[in-house]
Amino acid sequence: MSKDLKLEEPLGRVIVVTSGKGGVGKTTTSAAVGAELARRGHKTVVIDFDVGLRNLDMIMGCERRVVFDFINVIQGDAKLKQALIRDRRLENLSVLPTSQTRDKDALTKEGVEKVLDELRQEFDYIICDSPAGIERGAQMAMHFADEAIVVTNPEVSSVRDSDRVLGLLNSITERASKTGAEPVKAQVLITRHDKSRIDSGEMMPVEDVLEILAVPLLGIIPESTAVLRASNLGVPVVMDEPSAAATAYEDAVGRLIGEQIEMRIAADPRRGLLQRLFRRAV
Amino acid sequence: MSVPHQDIAPRGDSPAAAIKPFQIRGRYFTAVALRPEDGPLDKAFYAALDAQLRWSPHFFDGAPLILDLAQAPCLSRPAELRALTDSLRSRGLAVFGVQNASPEQISAAEDAGLISIASGKDAPLNMDSGTKPGTRRGLPKKLRPPENRLITQPVRSGQTVVAEGGDLVVVGPVSSGAELIARGSIHVYGRLRGRAMAGAEGDESARIFCRDLDAELLAVAGLYRTSENLEPDLLNRPVQVFLQDERLCVEALG
Repeated sequence: MSKDLKLEEPLGRVIVVTSGKGGVGKTTTSAAVGAELARRGHKTVVIDFDVGLRNLDMIMGCERRVVFDFINVIQGDAKLKQALIRDRRLENLSVLPTSQTRDKDALTKEGVEKVLDELRQEFDYIICDSPAGIERGAQMAMHFADEAIVVTNPEVSSVRDSDRVLGLLNSITERASKTGAEPVKAQVLITRHDKSRIDSGEMMPVEDVLEILAVPLLGIIPESTAVLRASNLGVPVVMDEPSAAATAYEDAVGRLIGEQIEMRIAADPRRGLLQRLFRRAV
Repeated sequence: MSVPHQDIAPRGDSPAAAIKPFQIRGRYFTAVALRPEDGPLDKAFYAALDAQLRWSPHFFDGAPLILDLAQAPCLSRPAELRALTDSLRSRGLAVFGVQNASPEQISAAEDAGLISIASGKDAPLNMDSGTKPGTRRGLPKKLRPPENRLITQPVRSGQTVVAEGGDLVVVGPVSSGAELIARGSIHVYGRLRGRAMAGAEGDESARIFCRDLDAELLAVAGLYRTSENLEPDLLNRPVQVFLQDERLCVEALG
């Protein structure tokens, strides 16, 4: 691979998927965004930064194919090509799994930079799936990012954590430390949006979330049983059968690559019906 | 003409239990520099110096003074330097060192009991070239630029913004869990959800202004109120916060 890395060629974009809070849908989003970008013909790799809590490979359905991982590559025990897993369904999609047995101290800044630089040569989009929290793993995942997708649930603690992460994106990343560099372009993706719970006051309205975070909205993903179903099957939600969540991710990816798509909040009619049935049954 | 002079205090690398009979502290102080022009140190020189001292008698009283030899390369004989030192000391000037000295001058200075200061830079007060030799105008009260701070981005949860020297102006929202600290007043052109502490060094005339109040904590000169004891009708409104009779008042604006 060429070592003249800093040429002003249109190199791959590094996009971190982060949130601060756990369980909001970072890995689901990483998988869905990665798969949708690949389906649109962009060469895409999704990297799992959650060292020690390896999940991405399961959601992408390739956990049985992991031989070498991200940490092996950083430590020089394996070549990048050996660790990358090519998706069987989408030829443009690859996964760089992480180690389940190591911890986040194995991530060194130099090692991460080297791997990302190499990936930039080959891929159009590099999706970094950040672990929860704001410690080393999360900081490494965001450090070299060009863009950020901040995943937020419409509830106060998630929004506050996302706000904290936005602050870190503005202060500790490579782009923040370089004078003259454009700041990391951050957008918020609201997941697990549930109209009925917002209407009943259990969750925050989208406008309130956006008012606090003060960054552009990338998309609104409705709460959907399709998401859980897809993860259990090991299929990114956009590759599973059609659902409101899949449509919403498709729209979000369209916006991510610069398309003008009107914001629409869909909900699964199927789930709505189910919910109503449940309510009656109780 | 200030001479920053700093000793590096050693960090506590000895066991904490050991008690030393002394402490070493870093010091940073301002000294006056006297920069003689290259010429004889004759009566005219001392007359001009005395005139200067009369002009601002208290300014030089006991002020640490450095001889800046940048313009006087010829002043290198130990006797000459010693005579100058003695005459300065007899005028109440506490001369203790030389700067911008040649190696020859340094050894002469050491003979005269003066140390050589290697580092140090002039305060931004440039001399006009036409000034009388041997004298510098005493420091007028330093005209420091205002040390206010302007932030034009949202202040996010977990961030602390400090304006050590003056006012803090934020154009944008301040999130819950964020902290604003200012020596002077705080102005927020946006929603204030976090904490704001004005008059951090005790300035009781400092105030907090915000366009939309939803703060977790408001404090002026150490007196504070939390969101729990703010009048609910002031929330989500433009307000100012100030001290009056030792009470922290929150008042709607406009």
